[in-house]
Amino acid sequence: MDDVLGGLALLFVAAAATAAVLNRDPARQALVLSLLGLGLAVLFTVLQAPDVGLSQLAVGSAITPLMILLTVRKVRRIGRGRQAEDDGKGRSR
Amino acid sequence: MNWWLAGAALLILGGLGPCLWGAATGGTGRRMTAQNTATLLLCLVFLLLAQGYERPAYTDLALVVSVLGPAGTLVFVRLFETPSDTPAAARLLSPLVTAATVATVVPLCVATGPGRAMAKLIVIGVLLLAGGAVTSRAVRGG
Repeated sequence: MDDVLGGLALLFVAAAATAAVLNRDPARQALVLSLLGLGLAVLFTVLQAPDVGLSQLAVGSAITPLMILLTVRKVRRIGRGRQAEDDGKGRSR
Repeated sequence: MNWWLAGAALLILGGLGPCLWGAATGGTGRRMTAQNTATLLLCLVFLLLAQGYERPAYTDLALVVSVLGPAGTLVFVRLFETPSDTPAAARLLSPLVTAATVATVVPLCVATGPGRAMAKLIVIGVLLLAGGAVTSRAVRGG
């Protein structure tokens, strides 16, 4: 039974990692990445390492996606600010 | 052969698998709904694993998920800039989570028997129900 559970968890992790790579938008990647974190937590627990699973859960399900989404937001805002600046310069010329 | 572990395997295959498919394809609203469902189902998986391996300490994982999962979903709802195109099936999220939680926690409580472990299980169940209600409302944009 343990083999079945371990195999299923491994399969889920592999599928989630592949899906995270195949998605190209960083914000959507963050969503799939959080699922990958959850899958890894299950895998660690099935392999009898719940302490590792616990830390993976805290990092993978909330903190990493939060960091990525905040970064994406900041980068987009900077991009928009630069674009507005360029438009302003173009007009003054 | 352990029926709790079999239930956990079934939940991974039939619950988390489709959630991964939903989170990897489609619009933003659908992805967020799928991710939210996955966190709530994962909590039940951890509860079943704890009972299946006969290690009550493993329920701590379920407790952490029941708090962090809805928090993560609220982060996504807050930070996604694109307008939400939540599918109509999101309305079924709260009843589905309620049914799955009751169907998992009640047998676990019966198997555990009265005591501190049962109180912990009930706390996790209540947290899950509250998290399901809050996040399904947030995902629907209400």
